[in-house]
Amino acid sequence: MKNIIKILLLFIAVTSLSSCQYNTMVDKQEAVNSAWSNVENQYQRRSDLIPNLVNTVKGYATHEKETLDAVVSARAKATQMTVDAKNLTPEKLEAFQKAQGEVSSALGKLLAITENYPELKANENFQELQAQLEGTENRISVERRTFNEVTKDYNTYIRKFPNNIISSMFGFEKKSYFEAEAGAEKVPEVKF
Amino acid sequence: MRKFILLLISLCSSLVLTCQAKEYEVKDIVMVHLQDKTKYVCNPDGILSEGCITKMDSLLYSLEQKTGIETVVIAVRQIAGNDCFEFAYQIGKQYSIGKKKTNNGLVILLVTNERCIQFATGYGIEGTLPDAICKRIQIKEMNPYFKNGKWNEGMLSGVRSIYGYLDGSMEYEPEENSEETDSLGIITIAVLGFLGIGIFIYILEYKKFCCPKCKKHTMKRTGSTLISNRNGIRKESVIYTCTNCGYTETREETNEDDDYNGGFGRRGGGPFIFGSGGGFGDGGGFSGGSFGGGSFGGGGAGSKF
Repeated sequence: MKNIIKILLLFIAVTSLSSCQYNTMVDKQEAVNSAWSNVENQYQRRSDLIPNLVNTVKGYATHEKETLDAVVSARAKATQMTVDAKNLTPEKLEAFQKAQGEVSSALGKLLAITENYPELKANENFQELQAQLEGTENRISVERRTFNEVTKDYNTYIRKFPNNIISSMFGFEKKSYFEAEAGAEKVPEVKF
Repeated sequence: MRKFILLLISLCSSLVLTCQAKEYEVKDIVMVHLQDKTKYVCNPDGILSEGCITKMDSLLYSLEQKTGIETVVIAVRQIAGNDCFEFAYQIGKQYSIGKKKTNNGLVILLVTNERCIQFATGYGIEGTLPDAICKRIQIKEMNPYFKNGKWNEGMLSGVRSIYGYLDGSMEYEPEENSEETDSLGIITIAVLGFLGIGIFIYILEYKKFCCPKCKKHTMKRTGSTLISNRNGIRKESVIYTCTNCGYTETREETNEDDDYNGGFGRRGGGPFIFGSGGGFGDGGGFSGGSFGGGSFGGGGAGSKF
């Protein structure tokens, strides 16, 4: 009789304790999902700025068709690639990052050539677009950092003992981080 | 002798020439607002004049009173690293500038050696002061002055411009509810702490008068000799006698001398709890301010002049 009671108590203890951890895992995973959508939002914001930028530059830099086209096509490719937070596998994240990296690189080239057009640089509209672009790049870097922090928190939690038992039981998987973009050029600082 | 003097002079002058301006890290900037709630400008290198600072303070104080917007202005020669945005953003993030509900924090950073002026806007200000407007203010109102080294005029012009945009953009709603729930928790802990300590002290005192021999609560203090009295601490040899069984015992006790007036005498002798927060740094009759816990998303803009 005593043994049965002991087992029962143990069972209750284990389930109540593990529900605590399960719930925390859910919270942390949701935090990762939310951080991911913030990242996507900021990248989208950058994408939205690009048509305006291209049109402004076109007016002044009439012979830079190649560079402008490169930006437009890189943007089109990146916009097609939206990743749902729930499907965030390491491969998908890498692909997403690569696509956005190409946009960064094309943008960098575009902004570099604007150096040769002083009239364009003095154009107020262009200056403000430049400010918005820089601001968006800053926001992207902030959100990526937040995403990495939240992901680290989640990964550490599900990998520690005894949480790892529960996480494997319920299918909580490790998520990957944003790596530093290898070889992609950073958007150059334009000094006015 | 001449050679020595020449050497000394050249050494001194080279030291002076290579004298680097201090490279500030985020943690090195002293937040003047925490010591005096009417002050918003951190000016450790003395780049800005007192007159300019006073004018900016009065504008920013008025802005905070009307809208609740919390601003920090920083002017330094050099920062560690050369990323002005990162520095301004970290200042905003680490001190959680801006009210928690409205995230209306603003950081204005001038780094003269880097030749950069940077605004970092909290989430709640991004609407009224979007990146493009920040840039516009910098290019139109500030950089023309900064290009000629006129830091005071540039900063004041910028702050005036910002005030023009932000004034009336939001209403200041003092957050009463959140403060109440916070202090409720603290009060409960304090009360429990009090009780716990009180019970503890009572038990200690009670045990003092229990006779180890006959286990009755009948010990009495019958005599004492002073061993030493240094720095306000009395050490005594006290004789206790049990009125029930006659058992005597000598104990060495340390007490604080009530008549001691030097050094840091403890007040009241009881547990020291929670001095008033505003009592610190009461310079000139103004108490310290605080930051409301607002967050930053990377908004704002910067420019080089």
